[in-house]
Amino acid sequence: MNQSLRILIILLPIFILVFFTKILLVDEDLKLSSFEAKNFPAFELDDLNGRRVQSESLNGIKLLNVWASWCITCLVEHPFLTKLSKNNVEIIGLNYKDSKSKANSWLKKHGNPYLFSIYDPRGDLAFDLGVTGAPETYLLIDSKVVGHIQGEMNQQKWETIFMPLIQQATQRK
Amino acid sequence: MIGEISHLLSLSAVLLLSLVLIFNLFFSFNQSHSNQLILSMRLFNQACWLVFISFGIYIYLAISDDFSIAYIANHSNSQLPIFYKVTSIWSAHEGSMFLWIVFLIAWSFLFINALDKNHPLKKPTLLMLSLIILGFLLFLLITSNPFERILPFGAIEGADINPVLQDPALAIHPPMLYLGYVGFVISFSFITAYLFHGDFKLDWEQDIKNWSLVAWIFLTIGIALGSWWAYYELGWGGYWFWDPVENVALMPWLAATAFMHSLFASSKSDVLKTWTMFLGILIFALSLFGAFIVRSGIIDSVHSFANDPERGLYLLSFSGSITLLALSVFAYRLPSLKSSKLVVSGSKESFLSMNNILMITSIFSIFLGVTYPLIIESINGDKVSIGPPYYNTIFAPLILIAAVFIMISVDALWQRSMSLRSLFITMAIPTFLSFVSMYLIWTFASVFSLLAYIGIFSGLLIIFSYLYRIINNFFNKKYINKGSAVAHLGLGLLFFAVSMNSIFSYEKNLNLAPGQSISVNESVQEFYFKDIRVFSASNHDVISAEVSLLHDGKEISLNPQKRKYATRGQITSESAIHASFLKDTYLTIGDQLENSSWTFSLKINYFIKWIWFSAALMVLGIFLTIFKKKAS
Repeated sequence: MNQSLRILIILLPIFILVFFTKILLVDEDLKLSSFEAKNFPAFELDDLNGRRVQSESLNGIKLLNVWASWCITCLVEHPFLTKLSKNNVEIIGLNYKDSKSKANSWLKKHGNPYLFSIYDPRGDLAFDLGVTGAPETYLLIDSKVVGHIQGEMNQQKWETIFMPLIQQATQRK
Repeated sequence: MIGEISHLLSLSAVLLLSLVLIFNLFFSFNQSHSNQLILSMRLFNQACWLVFISFGIYIYLAISDDFSIAYIANHSNSQLPIFYKVTSIWSAHEGSMFLWIVFLIAWSFLFINALDKNHPLKKPTLLMLSLIILGFLLFLLITSNPFERILPFGAIEGADINPVLQDPALAIHPPMLYLGYVGFVISFSFITAYLFHGDFKLDWEQDIKNWSLVAWIFLTIGIALGSWWAYYELGWGGYWFWDPVENVALMPWLAATAFMHSLFASSKSDVLKTWTMFLGILIFALSLFGAFIVRSGIIDSVHSFANDPERGLYLLSFSGSITLLALSVFAYRLPSLKSSKLVVSGSKESFLSMNNILMITSIFSIFLGVTYPLIIESINGDKVSIGPPYYNTIFAPLILIAAVFIMISVDALWQRSMSLRSLFITMAIPTFLSFVSMYLIWTFASVFSLLAYIGIFSGLLIIFSYLYRIINNFFNKKYINKGSAVAHLGLGLLFFAVSMNSIFSYEKNLNLAPGQSISVNESVQEFYFKDIRVFSASNHDVISAEVSLLHDGKEISLNPQKRKYATRGQITSESAIHASFLKDTYLTIGDQLENSSWTFSLKINYFIKWIWFSAALMVLGIFLTIFKKKAS
């Protein structure tokens, strides 16, 4: 009994150490799939043109940008988003607590980088997503939320936060 | 330049501490050689002073806005008041690690210099402390260097402190907690030194008793402040969330509480010595485990720092090594330690050791709660989360058993068994009173929850047994241990307040336009949303609602706010709280809806202030114990 207790006192911490080392090392490559990724919340909404949005339209690698015509920072990041969309990055808008007419005239005035914009006047979908305000940008891969940026989207954030995540995802495939 | 001096001082401390270790481990094993010890002590003390001065200079750098230092540039701002410039030092990983180490060194410095210079354990303790400090200093300088410069040109303006941390509580919650965590380095090093040294006739309990009690006080205050901060300042709406980081702070606390109890038993009647040593090692090991969990980013939590596997690996391997070192010596010496007396069943020690077992059980349950999601995830990749129901279910029965043992042990004697008759007398009155009070509470409450009633009953049991004992002893002019009575009354009150809070508190979500008024229930007869105002403060914009409530016949006005911070664009919510003796009225403002109405969340929290009052009682109890010891 005494002998086995002595062995246990040493073996148990070693076991715990090995376990956490393993977790730490595995953590590196699993970060993408299990630490941040969560399913995109279920929703039933129209886009700004009145078409029903299908959840299949979120497949592939897409950005979801939360914006509104009343949001000043959205205007700041608008040129960068336009640049991204010209480089074939697919961006979906989530028009947040806005009115349809104001939103559409905003897009007409400043240009439309979005494939389409989901119209969410009460912020229901935004609430489910955990949006705290506009602008926010989500990186979606096959309807899973993989990355998240609050505030202005810019070249630096794109390169340091989203690009590595996209690379990891494409390597996995 | 000044930054480099600060950096260099810390590096020199590394050098001096390495010298202490090399000098003692490789050149002489002659323990009676006193000059060697004197020299080692000087080197060690100088290393300590170097780090203290280095930290002092670092505070100066933060105050003088040296944004060429990356850490200061990322976490401070020239617009901040000096107070926050200083606290911003520990608002993120590198700086808080620096503070942690400064505290580690401060404890070690005070303890080793307070120890008699002829104490046979002085040298091995000094070596253990030097090794631990050296390991963490290297961790700081290699993986998380707070002195790193932005080259060639520094930042013009700092990125500002995280607004959530722009709060006076930041000045005190982390430092208190760290002081508690690292304070147990003393019991850890001293016990390990004792085991290394191998002269088991020495008494070791008295040398570390008060140090451990003081560390326990800091840890308790640190945890209580954290929960107070979350509730009153951060607007999280609760005081305890069973968040992984709260759990890793609770584990050393439970171990420290168990250690304190068995330390009393072991110094009073020579029992449980081996067990006490094990606990003394365990507390610091659990503190290190906490540091690892928070700083490796292995678990997502409100407290986690940035994710960096390199730091995690270093922390894990170093903490693991010194823990293993201590446990190996412990295991090696175990057969020769078996000299302590056996516990007499029915004596005070026996009930105390029962509660020791309960505390270890709860530590293990929490440990399982923290690691279980990781285990499952590493096996099949599923994400599971373990929440309050798990902990509540596990803790309720443990608390009840603990309360019964505490009640019995009030009257039990050291080293002597207790007669069945006196046991019955001790138990009868508190049990009867608890049942009656619980019945009264039952008639008031509308909700039934078995777990909460177990908690209330346990709390009352402890409170009544001590109150009964105090009154009884007062009239019979008999002695009562004041420290223990106050601390246990605090514990009973804690169980009681937490459980009462969970039964009586409720939350309502409301939806009103400015100028509207509604009736919520018979207690909150009127909720009147007067107006909403928008204005700018120094570094943020404020949306402030004016609400007046008619609550239990009293008029209360509340101003919940939302703030948007300019530099980081972050939005924070400032709850409005009105506190009265029994309950808190807690109001948070939500979002604006389309029809220009706003959402509110109204929480009525009963007995919540009592929770911190009970923590204060426990701390007071330990204070009394320390000063009683000093006086005698």
